[in-house]
Amino acid sequence: MTRVALVGNGGIGTQDHQTAMYEPAFRRHPAFEIVDNPDDAEVWSIAAPLAERGKTIAEAIRSGRHVLADKPLAATVAEAQEIERLAAEHGVVVVPAHHQRLGGALRSAIAAVRGGRVGLPWNVQCDFLVAGGDPAPGGELVNFGLYPVDVLHALLGLEVRRVHATGSPALVTLLLDHDHGVTSTVVCGRLPVLRDVPPGGPAVHRYRISGSHGVLAVDATKPALSVRGTSFTGPVWTGPGTVDALLDVLAAGIATGRAAVGPSDAVRAQRVIEAAQRSMETGQPVETGE
Amino acid sequence: MDRTGIVLVGAGFIADAHCGAIDADPRAELVGIVDADPGRAAAFARKQGGIRYETDLDTALAWPGADAVILCTPNDTHAPIGLRVAAAGKHLLVEKPLATTLTDARALAEAFEATGRVLVAAHTHRFYDYGRAVKQTIDSGAIGRPQLVRLAILGGWIWPDWSAWVGDPVRSGGHALHNGVHLLDLATWWLGGEPTAIFARGRKQTAAELRIYDYLEMVVTYADGATAVCEMSRAHRPGSLAQRELLVAGTAGIVEQGWDGESALVFGEAGTATLPAAGGNGFAAQLGAWLDAIGGAPPAMPVADAVRAVALGVAVEESIATGRPVAVTA
Ligand SMILES: NC(=O)c1ccc[n+]([C@@H]2O[C@H](COP(=O)([O-])OP(=O)(O)OC[C@H]3O[C@@H](n4cnc5c(N)ncnc54)[C@H](O)[C@@H]3O)[C@@H](O)[C@H]2O)c1
Repeated sequence: MTRVALVGNGGIGTQDHQTAMYEPAFRRHPAFEIVDNPDDAEVWSIAAPLAERGKTIAEAIRSGRHVLADKPLAATVAEAQEIERLAAEHGVVVVPAHHQRLGGALRSAIAAVRGGRVGLPWNVQCDFLVAGGDPAPGGELVNFGLYPVDVLHALLGLEVRRVHATGSPALVTLLLDHDHGVTSTVVCGRLPVLRDVPPGGPAVHRYRISGSHGVLAVDATKPALSVRGTSFTGPVWTGPGTVDALLDVLAAGIATGRAAVGPSDAVRAQRVIEAAQRSMETGQPVETGE
Repeated sequence: MDRTGIVLVGAGFIADAHCGAIDADPRAELVGIVDADPGRAAAFARKQGGIRYETDLDTALAWPGADAVILCTPNDTHAPIGLRVAAAGKHLLVEKPLATTLTDARALAEAFEATGRVLVAAHTHRFYDYGRAVKQTIDSGAIGRPQLVRLAILGGWIWPDWSAWVGDPVRSGGHALHNGVHLLDLATWWLGGEPTAIFARGRKQTAAELRIYDYLEMVVTYADGATAVCEMSRAHRPGSLAQRELLVAGTAGIVEQGWDGESALVFGEAGTATLPAAGGNGFAAQLGAWLDAIGGAPPAMPVADAVRAVALGVAVEESIATGRPVAVTA
């Protein structure tokens, strides 16, 4: 079993994903055991406040440890690139928590689109809307904009060349231009508290991929049962959890030396987020420079 | 009861929907039909039980009992024909778009303002069951202040061959003016806000040689910070599976209707298709509202909103051409 230490209980604002998400997932995962002393661990699960996160990750890498990092991996593109460089230099695996793409519906969708099931994709529409929970102080773009951006890359395999953003940091619309004239649109943000959606849970999470030969409509809140009762009405997720799947990725990465989710994914997503921030400031589309 | 006598101009695809509405409304009477093509005019008149028909508009406008016109001709003819209707002192229900340029749209608005006759543009989605239900839900306060509209009307190729006027950007005004205005108007009506900017992207999906964009994505930003993302498509495959999807998010809740919110699904040997539920007749509701306005009620589709829809459609085409956001001034 691989020994894991839990390092940090912060994030953006009041977030403590360590306690809420990573710790329980590590406890139930067959490949890992949690140890108290970070010096005894082969893996650090890092959920330090965003301002200190990059520094803590760098420290872990330099001491030869693998890392599971809360998202976003780093506060800036430059910081994420430095982590990428360091991880390669020290031969360790760094897995940022881009776990949404690992949901059952999206994994199938990614395989279907990359396998040509809708022909050549030409547009993707996405909504990533969370209901209730604590608003992120700097806006939700930085908090979870990277999730749908990461999924888009997994679906299309195309870089984002240009970003136009409108709305507010709490509820933002991103218009992305990819290679080959492919476009995508992401509406991302936080809705008010909705009945029967757990605080901070997904209210709408879906993708429509339009292709030359068909359309794929994916509800990423599934696979789920629909349960209706006197005191609860709502979906009950049935597949493996996305964080559990992320730990599978980490375990496989440690075993093989290469993880399916890595710092380059974080660099790529952060580049889009920063371009979106510039677009919000200027009101104009911004080239990502990629 | 004194019935409003209506002359239909343009005996094409959409004329039947207007005829059905007139038949269903005891306050209206179809006086006759005008079409530039005498064969089409005659055939239509025969089908309607032998009403009058004409190729010359001015002759028809002088028919006894002609109080009003429903105009169903190609988009670039709306302004010149509409101005003649105004000059003849008749009321006008004009198919959308009101006109293909903002100058023409304003000229029509001014001409009808001057005559005191009622001008209404056929933004029919305001009168469909779903359009009204969403508006009522927002107005009831159930979702708080609306901040986001997502509206998609997706379907496959429906137009005829290369000679179709809808495919000619000069005759149709382009797809943003031809169909885009439906969504631009509806989203803006739902939100109740003032559009300030448009960012749009267009695609020629069905054929590279198309002169119009068969897929449009039109993003409107409003003065209060709200956003509307409107997709209009004739590019989706398979064409048999028409989809309409909407989501409105407010400060206190959301209202949604997925593609299956109104339609059943047929999956058979011939493929998969949506089967829309039977319901209210949007064209009848639209006609009723116009007749109400002729009777003195406030219009359900004010002229200023029709002019604004043209401004938005023009801004969409400009944004696609420049790749930049365009400021909107209606
Ligand atoms: N509200 C809606 O949902 C809806 C749906 C479809 C079409 N429309 C609108 O309805 C209008 C007509 O569309 P359509 O699909 O019925 O077109 P169509 O091509 O089927 O019919 C147009 C008719 O107008 C006639 N015509 C052309 N120029 C004329 C002129 N100068 N004077 C008299 N007749 C003339 C043609 O001969 C033809 O019979 C357009 O403005 C279109 O945008 C609205």
